[in-house]
Parts: sequence; structure tokens; C-alpha cells
Amino acid sequence: MKRLPVNLLIGAALVMLVIGAAALSLIWTPHDYTDMNIRGKFGPPSETHWLGTDQLGRDVVSQLMAAARNSMAVALAAVLIGGSIGTALGLLASAIGGWVEDLVMRIADIGFAFPALLFAIMLAAVFGPSLTNAILAISFINIPVFARVARASANQIWTREYVTAAQAAGLTRAAISRDHILPNIAAPIIVQATIEFAVAILAEAALSYLGLGAQPPAPSWGRMLSEAQTLMYLAPQLAIYPGLCIVTAVLGFGLLGDGLRDVTDPRLVRER
Amino acid sequence: MFDLTNLSVHFGPATALREASLTIRPGDRLGIVGESGSGKSMLALCLMGMAPEAATLSGTLTIDGRDMAEATERDWQALRARRVAMIFQEPMAALNPLSRVGDTVMDPLRLHLGLSKQAARARALDLFAEVGIPDPAARLRQFPHELSGGQRQRVLIALALACDPDLLIADEPTTALDANVALRITDLLVRLSAERNMALLFISHDLAAVARATSDIAVMYGGDIVERGPTRAVLDSPAHPYTRGLLGARPSATSLPRDANGKRARLPTIPGTVPGMAELPKGCRFAGRCPVELPHCASERPALTKPGPDRSAICHVLSQEVSA
Repeated sequence: MKRLPVNLLIGAALVMLVIGAAALSLIWTPHDYTDMNIRGKFGPPSETHWLGTDQLGRDVVSQLMAAARNSMAVALAAVLIGGSIGTALGLLASAIGGWVEDLVMRIADIGFAFPALLFAIMLAAVFGPSLTNAILAISFINIPVFARVARASANQIWTREYVTAAQAAGLTRAAISRDHILPNIAAPIIVQATIEFAVAILAEAALSYLGLGAQPPAPSWGRMLSEAQTLMYLAPQLAIYPGLCIVTAVLGFGLLGDGLRDVTDPRLVRER
Repeated sequence: MFDLTNLSVHFGPATALREASLTIRPGDRLGIVGESGSGKSMLALCLMGMAPEAATLSGTLTIDGRDMAEATERDWQALRARRVAMIFQEPMAALNPLSRVGDTVMDPLRLHLGLSKQAARARALDLFAEVGIPDPAARLRQFPHELSGGQRQRVLIALALACDPDLLIADEPTTALDANVALRITDLLVRLSAERNMALLFISHDLAAVARATSDIAVMYGGDIVERGPTRAVLDSPAHPYTRGLLGARPSATSLPRDANGKRARLPTIPGTVPGMAELPKGCRFAGRCPVELPHCASERPALTKPGPDRSAICHVLSQEVSA
């Protein structure tokens, strides 16, 4: 058995931690994350409140766990929507070629020209602050990324002899794209999805931080960060905890994606 | 019936195929031999309507009397598998590694014949049995990497036969197989062609396989069909200098050539290499490598001569002999 790369293992561990906490929050959190207790505000870590309480006396651990769930859901939805549309466009561009391919890829280039996060902020600001709009905005910035990866990988597969054989058997380009191209470009798409998951988490946190994402009382790392900002000198730990969570999640998915790429693409390993 | 008349394929200034004319009737078994780059695969792709987009075609191709010049990709898709099918050189590369071989064979059945999944599976089973795959029911569910080279080529033959084509093009079907398996695949193709009255276009540079598989042969060089005729006659008494060179370069297992001192002599070869498509001489393509070249060979195109019954060749030397 080949040894798995270190980044894959560390990434997988961090991702398991975040997803585990998010999944656990569905059935159990130490406290209800909305329970306020003004008298117990800014509580230090204790047996009942492991990481203490915030400015309204809410349990920090419970909030972080519920926010993890929120963050995962937004990122998952955004990557699924953006990934599906982008991959479909990439497959289409590759299958048809010619001016259609050029058109799709030039539009993708325009999409790339905008800084992704700023673009998401702009979209969320235009369509109004809500979690749905945040998901749509993050989905949107994912489309060109997946379109480009799918098209580049698909173009490689189109030159394979089994695709020629399928054409010789009279299959249409649509059927070939579905039956032969898509399964064979799954690996790079999954790698990209993992990396984009990290980007989506960061984008969700940024949007929520700016008040364009999750609305109160829905918990979010980004919003916890922005609320803690005004209390930086009073209770710096309230900013540090959600910050660490964001770092953990983003780093975890980023490393996992890199690790998966190393495993699935033997060329990259040899270069090291 | 497939009819090519003066079919040429150009890539910009380069010529991949020059005025090729061929007629393929039901049950014909035609071999095409020639080196890499001689245009034999291009000829096959033209018959499938799969010439590269960058290529410009001229001349006519008719299938059952229908001129294919105006045929769209959709028209061709309807013809492929049903009228003309193809098998490829690399049986590993020609099967999708992520698809069960049964699904690959069922694809054209469901698409072209509109069979249900069950009917397509039953037909695929019959096909697997027909091409000599043992335990076909189990094989249907396997992936390409689980099969041997010979088995994979049989799967590809089953795929090509799926919709009962009139013409089967085999593009170097035995090149990637070891000799024993190659023989059996060759015999299988001959048997299938006879049983189904299906025309077989057998492309190869393996002269032994071509001799075994075909009744007629076309020798190609530099995009020209330089010699045509019954396989036996052409191989026994080659007329064109290129065919003679090709046959001379064939290693023999029984009589190793020896030089005057009894040492093992080098295998005779055709001097030089095939020039690039753009650098081919304007006249006879073989000029420059030909051992019996005449002064006007490189500049003037040789005319068709008839060195024997049912035979033809294009060569200035031959036309001189005929007129002399």
C-alpha cells in the first residue's frame, strides 16, 4: 500500500473535526446556542461553558458548533450548484468546440477577472442580504472555475481512443459526454470541488462578517467575528475562537484538496 | 456498397491521401498495407466520416449510391455501427477503463436499434459468444483491465458487430497482440466476414496477417494506392518497386539471410525514410527511395498500368515495360 501524502492526512483529520462538530450540532450541543444569560456574560471557560460565554451570556461552544453546520451547508450548496453548472458548461464547450467553446471560455475568463470575493459581495449587496443570496453569489463565482477545469480535462479525454471507438459506434457527442467523458474527469472535478469548498467557507464567513450572509439569530463564524470586533479589548477570545474555526475549516479542505490531487494525479508527485 | 472515386485529403499544403479510388462490395475482404503515414488510416477515417476537422476532402464517396459529400455529422452517426463499423489497434486504449465492457457493447444496441436494456443485454451475450469470449455472462460485467489483450479485442469486435454492419474496418487489429492471439483474431474476422457476408477492410503492416485475412490487397505509399490486385498474386509477384521492397524487408523464420561468409546478413530494407506529408515528391511518391528510378519519376505522375489480370499499379518503369 502506497503511503498517503501528509497533507491529505492532516486535511482529512481537520475536515473530519469540522464536519463532525457540524453533524453533532444537529442532535446535540452543550447548550441551546440562542440561550442568553446577561448576568453570566463574558464568562470564563468553565465546566458548563467550556469556552466561556459571549457578550449576551450565550455558550460559545454551542454557537461555534451550530455555525459550523451553517457554514458547511452554505459551502456544500454553493459548490454543488456552481460545480454542476460549471462542469456542464465545460463539458458542453469541449463537446461542441469551435466558437461555442471560445464563447464559454471567454465568459469564464471575464468571471476570473473579477476578484471572487468582491464579486460575491457585490452580488449579495445587489440582491439583498440573505443566506440564499449568499449561496447563489458563492455558486456563481464557482461556475467559471469548474467550467475551466471540466473543459481542460474533457479536451484531454476527447483525444482518447475509446472516445474515437464510441464515435465509430455512432454515439452522439452528448451521449459520449455523459457516458465516457464525465466519469473520466470525475477525479479532477472532485479535487477542485474540495478546494472550492474551502473558498466557499471563506466567502460565507466574509459575507456574514459584512452582514450580507446569515442573519441573526442564525449562527455564523463570520458574524461572531464581526460582533466580537467591537469588544476586541474587552474579550479578545470571542474573536479568536471563530477565527480559529475558519482557519481550521479552510486549511482542512485546502490540504485535503491538495492531497487528493497528489493522489489522483501521479505527475505532480513525481515533480516533488 | 462503398465507392470511393478520386478521394483526396489535404491538410493545408500537405497531402494525406491522393485520388484514392476503391469499391467495396458485400463480402469483399480487402487488405490495405503500407507504412505509418501512408494514408491507410486516413482512408479508413474517411469511410467512417471521421476525418479530422482540419482536413479538406475532395473527390466523391458514395455509400449505397448516396453521395456523402453533403452528409452532416448526424447523418454519419446514423450510418456508423449500422453500415460501417471499426475496430482499433490498441484494444486497451479503445475501451473506456471506467465502463463495464457489457455496457460499452450495449450502448450502440440501445441507441441505434432502440433495444430495451434486457434485449440489449441478451444481444450482447449472443455477440460475446459469437466472437468466442468464454463465459460471456460473467465477462459482460467486467472492466477492461480484467480482460486479456485478446479478450479486449474480441470485445471490440463484438461492439463493432453490434448493429450488423455491411463493412467492418479493422485498423491494425492485431498489431498490439502477440502472434498466436493475432492469428486467432485474424481467423475470427475472416469467419465473421464469411458468415455475415460482411465486407472487411483489413488495414495492417503485417503482411502475413493480410495474406491470411484477405482476398484482395491495396498497397499504399505516401497517400497513393500504388498497387492493387488479388492478395496472392500481388504477394507472389509484386509489380511496384515499393511492394517489392516491402516484401523483401519481411523477416523469414525459416530462411535467415546469410552473407557470402555465412554470417547472418542484415535484413534488406528500403533505403531512406518516408518523407513528411509536405515534402513528398510531386510525381511518383516513391521517387527518391526507388531502386529503379527514372529521371522523370519525381516530377511526373505515373499512369495506371495493368501488370496482370485484375491487377493495377502506378509506376513509370512498369508503364515503360508495357509500352515497350
